[in-house]
Amino acid sequence: MSATLEPVFGANVDATRPTNVLVVGVGGQGVIMVSKVMARIAQLHCREIKQSEVHGMAKRGGSVFSHVRFGAEVWAPTIALGEADVVVALEWAEGLRWLPYLNPVSGSLIVDTKRIVPPFGCIDRRRGATLAYPDTRIAEVAAHVPNLYALDAEGMAEALGNPRVANTVLLGVLSTTLDFPAEEWRRVIAEFVPAATVSTNLEALEVGRKWARRVHEGEAVTAPLNLPQARPAAAVVDSVALDINPAWCKGCDICVKMCPELCLRLNENQKAELTDAALCTGCHICEWLCPDFAIKVNLLPTAEAQHA
Amino acid sequence: MNRPVSKDFDIRDYLRLDRMPHFLCPGCGHGIALRALLWAIHELDLNKDKLAVVSGIGCSGRLSAYVDANTYHTTHGRPLAFATGLKLARPDLTVVVITGDGDSLAIGGNHLIHACRRNLDLTCLMLNNEVYGMTGGQASPTTSADRYTTTTPLGNHEPRFDACKLAQAAGASFVGREVTLQLPALKNLIREGIAHAGFSFVEVMSDCTEIYGRKNELGSSPEMVLRQKHDVRPESYGNQVERPFRPGPWQTGILARDERVEYGAAWRSHCAQHGGGVAP
Ligand SMILES: Cc1ncc(C[n+]2csc(CCOP(=O)(O)OP(=O)(O)O)c2C)c(N)n1
Ligand code: SF4
Ligand code: SF4
Ligand code: SF4
Ligand SMILES: [Mg+2]
Repeated sequence: MSATLEPVFGANVDATRPTNVLVVGVGGQGVIMVSKVMARIAQLHCREIKQSEVHGMAKRGGSVFSHVRFGAEVWAPTIALGEADVVVALEWAEGLRWLPYLNPVSGSLIVDTKRIVPPFGCIDRRRGATLAYPDTRIAEVAAHVPNLYALDAEGMAEALGNPRVANTVLLGVLSTTLDFPAEEWRRVIAEFVPAATVSTNLEALEVGRKWARRVHEGEAVTAPLNLPQARPAAAVVDSVALDINPAWCKGCDICVKMCPELCLRLNENQKAELTDAALCTGCHICEWLCPDFAIKVNLLPTAEAQHA
Repeated sequence: MNRPVSKDFDIRDYLRLDRMPHFLCPGCGHGIALRALLWAIHELDLNKDKLAVVSGIGCSGRLSAYVDANTYHTTHGRPLAFATGLKLARPDLTVVVITGDGDSLAIGGNHLIHACRRNLDLTCLMLNNEVYGMTGGQASPTTSADRYTTTTPLGNHEPRFDACKLAQAAGASFVGREVTLQLPALKNLIREGIAHAGFSFVEVMSDCTEIYGRKNELGSSPEMVLRQKHDVRPESYGNQVERPFRPGPWQTGILARDERVEYGAAWRSHCAQHGGGVAP
C-alpha cells in the first residue's frame, strides 16, 4: 500500500480531525457501492478508516445510509449531527432527511434531484391523491447549505445509456471535493463495478467531474427540480362506490380482514358493509378475494375527467 | 345465447345469475378461483358462445354450473376424457376443464397423465384444497402430512403428490401454480395457460374452509387465505412458520412451458394423410 499516513485533505476539510462522508439514498440505488469506493480510496491514504452502514433492511425502496470516516485517528464509527463534511444523497428527499448531519459551516451536499416517493409518502392511497413528498425547492436548501451540488445525476446517467450509473456520476462530483488523485478514483471504481459496466462507469465519473468543475468555475448549472405537482385534494380523488350484494354475501369475513383501510365490517346479520366510505380507496382487494362475488368496486370517472 | 359483457370486467356478466348465490361454503377458495378464470376469459376477449367449461364431480366440479357459457358437468374423474372428445369434435371451441385434487389425481389420475401425454389444446384448472370437500372431507392424494381427515383420524401418514411435477413429467407443455390470495397473478397465469396452444395444467392452491380448515384448526376463512403466503414464501418468515397449511416451499408462477406438437392438429393431419378418421 502506497501509504502516506497523513490524509490528503480537500480544501473544505480541517486537517486536525477525521473527514466524514455520509452516503444516503434508497435501497437498490447503489449507496453501498459509493461508500465502498470512498472507503477504499481513503484506505489508500489514511491510517484509520471506519465504515458502517444500514442497508434499509435489505428491501428495495427503504432508506439506506452509510457512514465513512477517515483520518489519522478515528474512534466512533458513526458521524455525529452537524459533523458530516460531505453528504452524498442519491435521492432528493433522502438528502433533505439527512441535512441535520451536514456541517453547517463548511459542509457540502451532493444531491441527485431524482425523486423516489417512499411508501410513507403514499399514505392516502386513493388514485390521484396528492403525495406527501416534501416540496422543498432547491433555492430553499441552498440558503442552508454551505456548498450545494444539486444535479440530475440520473438524467446524466441515462444519457450515457444506463441510469444505474447515476451513483458514479455523484462519485465524480464527490471526487472533486476531496483531494485524492483522479486516477485513483478511476482505478477503484473499475475494481468495484461489474466488468461489463466498467467503461460506462468511468464515463459517468467523468461526466460528474466535468459538471462539478463548471460549478467551481461559478457557472449556474443547478438542475431544475421537478417536484410532484400538488393538486387540490377534492378534485383528484376518484369517487368510489362499493356495491355490496347482501343476498350473495355469506359473512365469511375475508373482505373485512383483508381491507387495507379497515373500512368494512360484518353487520348484525353477518353481512359485509362499509363503515366509512371516505376511507375506501377503491383498491379492489375486497372484490377480488370475496369467494361469493358479493362486492363490486365501482370507480366513478367523474374525478378523472377533471384531471384532464 | 349469452348475455353481452361490459368493457371493464364485471363478473356478473359471466355468471348464470338465476343460479346465484352459489352453493360453496362461506370462505371457500374455489369461488376466488372461479373469479380468476372468468377474469382471464374476459381479458382474452373470448366469445362466451365459443367457450366450453367442462368439470368433474366435487365442490370444484360444481363450478361449471354457474358459468354463463357452454358448460358440461361430467362424471367423477372423467372431465378430461369428455373434454378431449369435445375438443377433437369442435376444435373451434376454447375448452377449459375445472377439476379437484380428488377428481384429477385419485379417481381421474390416469385420465390426467394421458391428457398431459397427448398435449391436446385444453386448459386444466386443478383446484387443490388437499381434501375431498364434497363428500365430507376424506384424504386425497395431495393431503399434507399429519392432517386430520375422516379417513386419517390419526393424522395422514401418506406422502403427497406434487401435481405440477406429475403433470410436467407426464408431458404437459404448460404447467403453473398459484395461490388464490394472489388473484391478479392467478388470473394472469390462467390467461397464459388458455392462450398456450397445447395442454396447460394450472394448479390453484385453494382452501376448503368449512371441512379441512375446521378439522385441522387452520383458522377462520381470512386466516386460511392469508396463510397461503406462508406456504409459498416460508423464507419471508425466517422458515419459522407455525403450522403452515401445506408445508412448502411451493414454487409459483409458470413452472414449465414448451412448444410441443399439439395433439389436435397432429391428429387431423394424420387422418388426412391416411384418408380415415372423422376429422372436421
Ligand atoms: C364414481 C364416483 N365415485 C365417487 C364419487 C363420490 N365423490 C364425489 S366428489 C368426490 C371427491 C371430490 O374431491 P375433489 O375432487 O378434491 O373435489 P373438492 O370437493 O375437494 O373440490 C367423491 C369421491 C362419485 N361422485 N362418483
Ligand atoms: S376497495 Fe374494498 S378492500 Fe379496498 S379499501 Fe375499499 S373496501 Fe377496502
Ligand atoms: S368476502 Fe364476500 S362473502 Fe365474505 S363477508 Fe365479504 S362480502 Fe361477504
Ligand atoms: S366443503 Fe370445502 S371445498 Fe366444498 S364448498 Fe365447502 S369449503 Fe369449499
Ligand atoms: Mg379437493
